[in-house]
Amino acid sequence: MTTFIDYVLGGLGSGAIIALMALALVLIWRSTRVVNFAQVGQAMFTTFIALSIQTWTGSWYIALIGALAAGAVLGVIVQYLVLRPVKRNDTSGAIIATFGVLIALQAAAGMIWPGGSQAFPQPFNNSGIEFAGRVWPISIYDFVVIGITALLVLGLTLLFTKTSLGLSMRAAAFNPEVAKLSGVRVSRVLTFGWALAGSVGAVAGILVAPVSTISPNSFDILLVYAFTVAVIGGLDSLIGAISIGVFTGLIISLVSGYSDSGNAPVVALLLLALNLILKPEGIFSHHKARSV
Amino acid sequence: MVNLLRLPGARFLSHLAIVFVIWAALMRINDGIDPLMSYYLALAAMYATAMFGMVILVGLSGQVSLGNGALMAIGGYVFALTSLNWQTVPILGWQWNPIWSMIFAGFGGIAVGLIIGWIGARLRGPYLAGLTLGIAVGIPAIATRFPEIFGGETGLMLTVPYPTGGYAPTVELAPIDEAPLDEVPLEQAPLEQAPLEQAPLDTETAGAGDMLTADNFPSAESSPAAGDMLTADNFPSAESAPSVSALPSDVALPTDIDPIAGGDALLAGGAFVLERWQASLAVTAACIIGFLALNLVRGRQGRVWRAVRDDEVAAAVSGISPAGSKISAFVVSSFFAAIAGAVFAQIISYVGPGAFGLGLSLSLLVGVVLGGRASLGGAIIGGVLLVALPQLVFNIAGDRGWPANVTDNAPNLVYGLLVVLVVLIAPGGILGSLKDGTRRLLAKSRSAK
Repeated sequence: MTTFIDYVLGGLGSGAIIALMALALVLIWRSTRVVNFAQVGQAMFTTFIALSIQTWTGSWYIALIGALAAGAVLGVIVQYLVLRPVKRNDTSGAIIATFGVLIALQAAAGMIWPGGSQAFPQPFNNSGIEFAGRVWPISIYDFVVIGITALLVLGLTLLFTKTSLGLSMRAAAFNPEVAKLSGVRVSRVLTFGWALAGSVGAVAGILVAPVSTISPNSFDILLVYAFTVAVIGGLDSLIGAISIGVFTGLIISLVSGYSDSGNAPVVALLLLALNLILKPEGIFSHHKARSV
Repeated sequence: MVNLLRLPGARFLSHLAIVFVIWAALMRINDGIDPLMSYYLALAAMYATAMFGMVILVGLSGQVSLGNGALMAIGGYVFALTSLNWQTVPILGWQWNPIWSMIFAGFGGIAVGLIIGWIGARLRGPYLAGLTLGIAVGIPAIATRFPEIFGGETGLMLTVPYPTGGYAPTVELAPIDEAPLDEVPLEQAPLEQAPLEQAPLDTETAGAGDMLTADNFPSAESSPAAGDMLTADNFPSAESAPSVSALPSDVALPTDIDPIAGGDALLAGGAFVLERWQASLAVTAACIIGFLALNLVRGRQGRVWRAVRDDEVAAAVSGISPAGSKISAFVVSSFFAAIAGAVFAQIISYVGPGAFGLGLSLSLLVGVVLGGRASLGGAIIGGVLLVALPQLVFNIAGDRGWPANVTDNAPNLVYGLLVVLVVLIAPGGILGSLKDGTRRLLAKSRSAK
């Protein structure tokens, strides 16, 4: 039983990070009906920028702020240059274009930051906390990760429910035509959504980097997990992304703990397939994903 | 006058003629080019084989798949496992032959295509892309999970059996066994386009057409190892086959095929024979698959796929089952991918999770989008592009003397940007743009009259 609790605690941090990345996917899907497969590429890129800032200034906080800003800028660039010009009915085109962006970003990162995998310095103590006579598999850093995730979720919830900007975002996502008639500047609101998602993804990137390493391809698996989570959660639902994200982190930790970490992607694939067979629209969504 | 094309079977025969002419021309070209070019030809034909399936799945049936590299893995692993473990055909008891392995690989592809198609046909756009993305990552992970069957990360090495006689060089190799390997005169090492002076290499070859017939296609265990072919214990490193460093690594975009490694393999002995055999195998497989694809695409099934892609409801009203159509597209493309995977396994003499990773799946998508996702010709252009473009970019970047990290990543950067540009500016890809261009020119000249 104690090992079970250990695995659960150990999965909380990674679950929060997966949840954040899924949240970024959901934010973009809600506003533009595009799954941004380049999201992890953007996050990887901003994390490299953060690493440069950190080695230059020595401060993790400045690096974090830099990553947030870079994420927003990159999100806006991708939306302006790539997604906005894609024809509206060309869903295949939009998906393929985001993969083009992913490939280009990974190559560019390889050019700018050569040398393969790099370690990201630990901003906080990442060894288990000693409490009540034993070492727990959860560290100060895990608490920081969970705390930042919670803050972000709280902030986004407030933004969507309590501000007029959030209201116009919801309106633009729900029905762009009517929103436009009601005076919402839809395209500007959509761009803001991409900036927001870019920042959330950047936070996920900078949080995951210290516990793994960072290289142009190191976030690929995170894309698979985040997409799985976003789909199971319903692609539309912030709550879904967060709760399924944490849940998936626990599952991955349990699977890795009781068997082997190599099984984790296979289990994620099984979860995804099972979900798509049984309830393709996702657990937290009312929309229809299945058409036939 | 009777329209010949209206006669029953005429379309079938015309397709047969088209494919046969292409096949014969490529086989002739394969005899005349140096082995490194043959190796590239083999890769391009293999990519084209897989991308015929992508054209059907992505272009005609409108389902974006990121998992076809993993479906190629199915074909590759079935080929490797059956040819490594089985001496006779089960139940029938016939002597084993690599053709059987290819057939079983195809069946494996069909079976997996049915399962994925059944799950995937009910899903739209991003859901399907995500499912296939999961497959692209998950299937190689399964191979890593069961090392005792699939060889784990290291994968399985294959001794590719190929016919004796046939392509064996006659005279030229004699001096090599005296010389230390690294002092082999450079003009023998076909770096890039430098054509071999020794023309007789490709004469006296067996008729290419006999190549794949069962009787001169020796079975796996009876065929000598690649190196033994040249009658020579006097060949030092007789282990031929493209060296392992030529394998696509994790990011298996074909940029990783290192021309230098290819050159080393050529120097290493039997490769002179091997590359040409690989190219003829890949070209023959591509032509057979291309012939099947041509008949499907231009026949009733092609119209069904297009109808469902353009309007599911209208198609259903016309008595077409949209789900059935989508599943059939998955099965066909999975079958093609599995055959391509079996060919790939023979080209690189190896199957492993690294060779069939997400990078391979992505490069198939890149190739078919760049070439043109709406027609089979796009797959051929895509296959050539996937092999030629990285070389081209490498050469340009190398000439400028850019550092290694820039040169290594330049092809992928070009790929990524090209994909975005093509989607935005020319959704039909290169082939679609060419068609549009000629149509516009024709219209202009007509109006000028």
